[in-house]
Amino acid sequence: MNGRGWTPSILAALAAAALLVAAGIWMAAYQERRYSEQQIKSVREQAEVLAASATAAILFGDSSAAQEYVDGLRANPELLGAAIYGADGRRMAGFARGTQLPEQLASLRANPGPGYVDIAVPAGPKGTRTGIVLLRSVTEPPERRFVRYLGLILLVTMGGLVIAVLSVAQAQLARRHQQLTAVNARLHEEMEERRKTEDALRQAHKMEAIGQLSGGIAHDFNNLIMIVKGNLRLLRRKLGDEQGPVGTYIVSADEALDRAAYLTQRILAFSRRQPLTPQRVHLGALAEGLSELLRHSVGEKVEIVLRLNGSWPTHCDVNQMENVILNLSINARDAMPNGGRLVIETADRTLSEPPPDLESQNFVPGEYASLAVIDTGSGMSEEVRRRAVDPFFTTKPQGKGTGLGLSMTFGFVRQSDGYLLIESAPDKGTAITILMPRDSEEAA
Amino acid sequence: MRARLPVMALLGLLVATSARADVSLEYAVKAAYLPKFIPFITWPETAFAGPATPVTICVLGSDPFGGRLEQAAGELKSGDRTIAVRYLQPSDASAACQLVFVGKTDETVAEATLDAMKGKPVVTVTDSGLKAHGVISFVIDANHVRFDIDNASAAQTGVVISSKLLNLAHAVKPRGQP
Repeated sequence: MNGRGWTPSILAALAAAALLVAAGIWMAAYQERRYSEQQIKSVREQAEVLAASATAAILFGDSSAAQEYVDGLRANPELLGAAIYGADGRRMAGFARGTQLPEQLASLRANPGPGYVDIAVPAGPKGTRTGIVLLRSVTEPPERRFVRYLGLILLVTMGGLVIAVLSVAQAQLARRHQQLTAVNARLHEEMEERRKTEDALRQAHKMEAIGQLSGGIAHDFNNLIMIVKGNLRLLRRKLGDEQGPVGTYIVSADEALDRAAYLTQRILAFSRRQPLTPQRVHLGALAEGLSELLRHSVGEKVEIVLRLNGSWPTHCDVNQMENVILNLSINARDAMPNGGRLVIETADRTLSEPPPDLESQNFVPGEYASLAVIDTGSGMSEEVRRRAVDPFFTTKPQGKGTGLGLSMTFGFVRQSDGYLLIESAPDKGTAITILMPRDSEEAA
Repeated sequence: MRARLPVMALLGLLVATSARADVSLEYAVKAAYLPKFIPFITWPETAFAGPATPVTICVLGSDPFGGRLEQAAGELKSGDRTIAVRYLQPSDASAACQLVFVGKTDETVAEATLDAMKGKPVVTVTDSGLKAHGVISFVIDANHVRFDIDNASAAQTGVVISSKLLNLAHAVKPRGQP
């Protein structure tokens, strides 16, 4: 925005002010000319009156009488001088204030100087010229001129004031505009933030709804599986030792039921409805205990590094936590089909601010025991990362993954008042961090 | 205490013209004054034969001016009228005169002349030193030639004398005084 620019309306006002001032100057000049014309006329009239009344005195050469006539004009302050010259051109009578009138009419200069005017009128009886009456006047008294130019000065001052007020208003407007722009930008920022928060909230609601739905189904489904399983057991008992081929049917049906039960278990874990038996546990110790099993699980191409820097205990279900670590490690292995390095890292972290991505999850600042599983694998795109914990979302080929691993982990961690943090970028590997609240109670 | 007539101011004028006649400065001044009274005096129309008739100055008795009066009269005009000069004997005082100068003469002659002019639209001018006074009378005051004006008798003759002239007079007898 051009905060310092002049708008057309202000330019128009400036032009009008300039026009006003010009008109004022012209008027002053015009009045001055008019006034000096009038002044000359009035002085000429006075000279003519003096010439008429002093005729006899001039004719008879009576200078003292002439002086009396001239003195009558002293009352007029605008007359600087007056003189009567006889027929011989000599000054008979006169007076002068701040100026000089010559002794001889012949030595009178044509131009008396700026601001003065000389008026000479012949005197004498009709038809004869016996003398000259000379009056010298200011064209305009200074105070009158001052008063006239005072009007002009006032006009100019007013114009200046108008311009000043306009520019102040303009500057204020520009400042106001800037403020408004800043406020608007902040508003947009807040709107964007709010939109993100709402997105996150919607996601959370979605997860919650899916969790509840699938949890409810899994629960009921589990009960049904138990009924079928119980009936199969009764059937087997009924058949006794002569099961024959029916026995193998029963066994494979039972195995299928076991797999179904495991599936429902995992769904329940995601929906946070699984029964947990939390206890005090050190994540580091847990990871260490699992390391042998992990080595077998991930194969020889993947190097496992343990960085167990955490010392704070936490409170959670040990079996589920072991499942989580195993699950995450297997995910990591799957991301590194050509081998790589798998780091399991524990740390004590005091968080006063929610880590990125956790703002929407009602993060409670405090002390956390963290466990991170970091791989050097293929990583995830932002889109995949966002949906990673959605149930049944998987990037594995059809039939290879259930899409429940991370969602189960997420469900368990949230059920245990912890947080799950996923950091990843394509070809940069993935780091999944679990933050579990510190168990601050003294060990029993 | 009216204006003092500066004889010296007229000196320049006199020096230029006084070479030929042996006339005193006093009469030179008086000769200059006589025609100058005329522009400031208004006569009734009946005093003139016609609109172009000159204003006539009549000098009674001997001519004391030695030709200066004619010279001064030739330089002046009263409105459209020129100024003429005539010399008369006291016996034939005529109505054709508008201004009559009574020079130094016998007091009785002067008195008689003035009496003859009474009531006529004529301005009488008496020389200084005479006991009898006309409408205008020359006086010598501190070696200066000056004049008194008897405006009262002027009014009786129907002649009006301008205040401009009255202003310059040595003494004025105002209108209405006996």
